[in-house]
Amino acid sequence: MNKRKKVKLSAVAGCIITTLIAVTVLIPILWLFVSSFKTDVGVIKFPPRFFPEEWTLHQYLYVGDSIPIFEMIRNTVIFAGGVTVISLLFDSMAGYAFARMRFIGSKLLFSIILLTMMVPFQIIMTPLYIEVYKFHLLDTYLGLILPRATSAFGIYMMSSFFTGLPKSLEESGRIDGMSEFRIFRSIMLPLCKPALVSLGIFHFMNNWNDLLYPLMLTSSQNKRTLSAGLAVLVGNKVIKYGPTLAATMISLTPLLVLYIFCQKYFIEGVATAGMKE
Amino acid sequence: MTERKGKKKRFQAQNQKSAYLFIMPSMIILSIFVFIPLIASFVISMTDMNIFMKDVQFVGLKNFTRLFTDGRVGNATFNSLYFTLLEVPLQIGLALFLTVCLAKNNRYSKLLRSVYYLPFVCSMTAIGIVWSMLLDPNMGLVAYWLKQTGIETIAFLKDPELAMPTVIVVTAWKGFGYTLTLLAAAVLNISQSLYEAAEMDGAGSFHKFIHITIPGIWPTISFCIVTSTISAMQMFDQAYVMTQGGPLNKTETVVQYIYDRGFQTAPYDLGYASAISVYLFVIVAVMTFVLRKFILSRGEDADE
Repeated sequence: MNKRKKVKLSAVAGCIITTLIAVTVLIPILWLFVSSFKTDVGVIKFPPRFFPEEWTLHQYLYVGDSIPIFEMIRNTVIFAGGVTVISLLFDSMAGYAFARMRFIGSKLLFSIILLTMMVPFQIIMTPLYIEVYKFHLLDTYLGLILPRATSAFGIYMMSSFFTGLPKSLEESGRIDGMSEFRIFRSIMLPLCKPALVSLGIFHFMNNWNDLLYPLMLTSSQNKRTLSAGLAVLVGNKVIKYGPTLAATMISLTPLLVLYIFCQKYFIEGVATAGMKE
Repeated sequence: MTERKGKKKRFQAQNQKSAYLFIMPSMIILSIFVFIPLIASFVISMTDMNIFMKDVQFVGLKNFTRLFTDGRVGNATFNSLYFTLLEVPLQIGLALFLTVCLAKNNRYSKLLRSVYYLPFVCSMTAIGIVWSMLLDPNMGLVAYWLKQTGIETIAFLKDPELAMPTVIVVTAWKGFGYTLTLLAAAVLNISQSLYEAAEMDGAGSFHKFIHITIPGIWPTISFCIVTSTISAMQMFDQAYVMTQGGPLNKTETVVQYIYDRGFQTAPYDLGYASAISVYLFVIVAVMTFVLRKFILSRGEDADE
């Protein structure tokens, strides 16, 4: 009897603690959301209030006056979207070849690719900058997208997915006389939609949120992504609180919406990343 | 018979050719943007190259001797280690504690796990901006709430002693949901029969945690320790957004100093920046090696 009481007590305590932590997680995000509807005065009012006293769309309507938000959104969409689409194609092609085709040097090349997963970005940062500069691609979309157009992790993830598919799949295509690329595109690729969605979300989120990489490879304000551009503007302390709040909320919205609707895929991508050891 | 063999051979040759075509785009990109820079980094670290890239001279190990007498490198190394040694245990400890409470498949646990994951989806830039505003000593909500409870105004991010701990807590706040997701998946994978057997033997929940849960998820825990340590040693975003390395360089990390030398402060000394990169690379490699060794032996102990 006593033991049961103890168990119940710890369950209640656990419930309270976990809920409290959930509140701590939600409050800053909720604060950002509601504060972006405050007036200029409401934002810097003392004593500060959590909810706006007067709800207004003013910050969203005039955010473009002090922050080049439209350019930033365009740049981020082109950069993160471009990397995601191209990288998915190249990652799955290479992953497919390593998993399903036999060719000389495949084992060696694959282990080299696995090794590059461990190369930290800061070691290649300076030479990468010099290369992009020498190619005259600094401050261009191509210069931002090209170095990220494939990833060792993506190749690894796709190849482990393709390895798990049944062996006889390509045979039917070969008997029908399909080319290798047709087999890949019409038979194999449709089968790995879940893996593609997970990897796509993984790439999209990482590039959408990335700071150091786009910061280094862009120099002008009109090629900056949301996260790099906002970081610079806030660092220079040149913009007011109100527009900053609205712009920050705008930068978060696409990923938050995506997360709410495709939660499963966010977590699956992470789970596969966790399996790579 | 021979014709058949020839056909098969031809088919294999064809197959080989298309395999190379399949991997070609990725191999070209990885060679140009990963392999070559990796090697070039070591070469550039031994030159006096700056951002204008004219009259580049080989200077041998001069950049490395300079690095060891540069007080800011020492300071940045200390800060990165300080950050890593506190942030990694905090994040993993918190995640582990919550895993115990929430490694169930009921609605409440699932909902909370997805709430905890939310900050991980957000960019460090956005999180940094929000927390800087909330923690502002003059008009921030947190400072105001603390004042209401009678605590004196604390300048979290502007106090040299408090800035780094604050950055650590914000980082752990952002990342623990990710660690929790990995750990919970591992716990849910442990066979239920192990727990039932232990209960039969009269084991309490603490006993079950130490002898079944921890050994069962040890590979995942060690994965989390190694990867979080590597990424903590490369910390940049948080300090760049929230403190710009200040106050008094108390939050300047190694990667921030690399960025500062190479891209922010004239004369944009790329050679020196590369040398610091190589230095950090070696530190991280050694730490990874030692951690792996230590963790692997721990894991074997746990199995026994």
